[in-house]
Amino acid sequence: MFNFAFHRPTSLEEAQRLKAEIPGARLIAGGTDVLVKLKKGVPCPSDLISVRNLRELKQISGGEVITIGASVTVSELLASPLVQQELPILLEACTRLACVQIRNVATLGGNLCNASPCADLAPPLLVLEANMRILGTAGERRVPLRSFMVAARENCLAPDELLVAVEVSRPRAGSCGVFLKQARVSMDLALASLAVMLEPDGDTRAWRIAAGSVAPTPIRLARTETLLSTAPDTSAALPTAQALADEEVRPISDVRASATYRRQLIRVFLGRAVAALQTGRSA
Amino acid sequence: MSTVRLTFQINRQAAELEVSPGALLVEVLRGPLGLLGTREGCSRGECGACTVLVDGLPVNSCLYPALEVEGRSVLTIEGLSEPGQKLSPVQEAFVERGGIQCGFCSPGMILSTHALLASNPAPSDHEIRAALVGNLCRCTGYVQIVESVQRAAELRARAREGVSHE
Repeated sequence: MFNFAFHRPTSLEEAQRLKAEIPGARLIAGGTDVLVKLKKGVPCPSDLISVRNLRELKQISGGEVITIGASVTVSELLASPLVQQELPILLEACTRLACVQIRNVATLGGNLCNASPCADLAPPLLVLEANMRILGTAGERRVPLRSFMVAARENCLAPDELLVAVEVSRPRAGSCGVFLKQARVSMDLALASLAVMLEPDGDTRAWRIAAGSVAPTPIRLARTETLLSTAPDTSAALPTAQALADEEVRPISDVRASATYRRQLIRVFLGRAVAALQTGRSA
Repeated sequence: MSTVRLTFQINRQAAELEVSPGALLVEVLRGPLGLLGTREGCSRGECGACTVLVDGLPVNSCLYPALEVEGRSVLTIEGLSEPGQKLSPVQEAFVERGGIQCGFCSPGMILSTHALLASNPAPSDHEIRAALVGNLCRCTGYVQIVESVQRAAELRARAREGVSHE
């Protein structure tokens, strides 16, 4: 039993107002990160504000820009025909996230706001160039996901702000992507993960690559992307790309894996992803 | 801290009780409601022993604030068999095929199976194992559990057939 006051606002405006008015209040959605942290001894906030059931945060809508509410659960993403059709790379990451019990409550917004280096949904959304729609006292603003996660377990939200939705431009026709993850057992956190997208861009093709669990936040591998996107022969460029990716990642050794192993995983994943996307096989 | 009134359905019955705002669902089930079939294992959402169904979906009750079941329907192992039934088909299958040894994981394992079969009446081995990834068993090695789920699917299908022939 915890010693917090539990607020259940019934509208987005009320949730934002409570967040702005109560110093030190924390938002909670599915609770699979917040409550685990409290159980591990992180000091308990005086107030938790639940956004789990806010209707405004539960919508998924399509069009040229796909908007997914922050409180949509991972199971709801998996069941969404729009996500299945338009964002298979995000769908793949959802299937690899923890277990049924967690997926039924864990939310998209929670996974990103928690800003863990190993957040499973971050690498696919980084290569999809997602934008975060944020509501504060002064109104709404948009921040690219790549600048939303500022440090390990730290996001850029001000005390009066909350995440409303994640926006993704519908990928161009002919785009394809893969998400690869290595974990000790299937429900475990990623030792390393890699999302790779290949998008037709006029006469050329643009590669976008993001990695998880190999830096303080999930990161884009910008130099590796440029190298592959400008290489006349992708297969010939692969060894150089793998060496470059190895320079771009900054993994640590911890209880789950050594830095050396994580580096090796990224090299192997990049090789598999490039091979799969070039031939249209699954990685 | 003052308590808050909580109203929800537990095992098809209306329940109304006063709970602390910081109480978790597993604490309310095992405490004031006296439903000891729901186990608390790791307490961190990894072992699945505390699995219950909220509006039909498996969740870890150790990570579920009690106040969040307001207006919802919760099913625990005590409510699984229908009125007049001794055991549900899933429970019968676990007994028959040795899917139970020490029994600590069984309520969670059985509720996860119940939810799986409700959405997928004839799951493959792979689908069974994927659905039970969040339920750890330290006794059986899972082989008998997977067999129990297959058997439960058969019993359930047979029961449905019986109903449709009446």
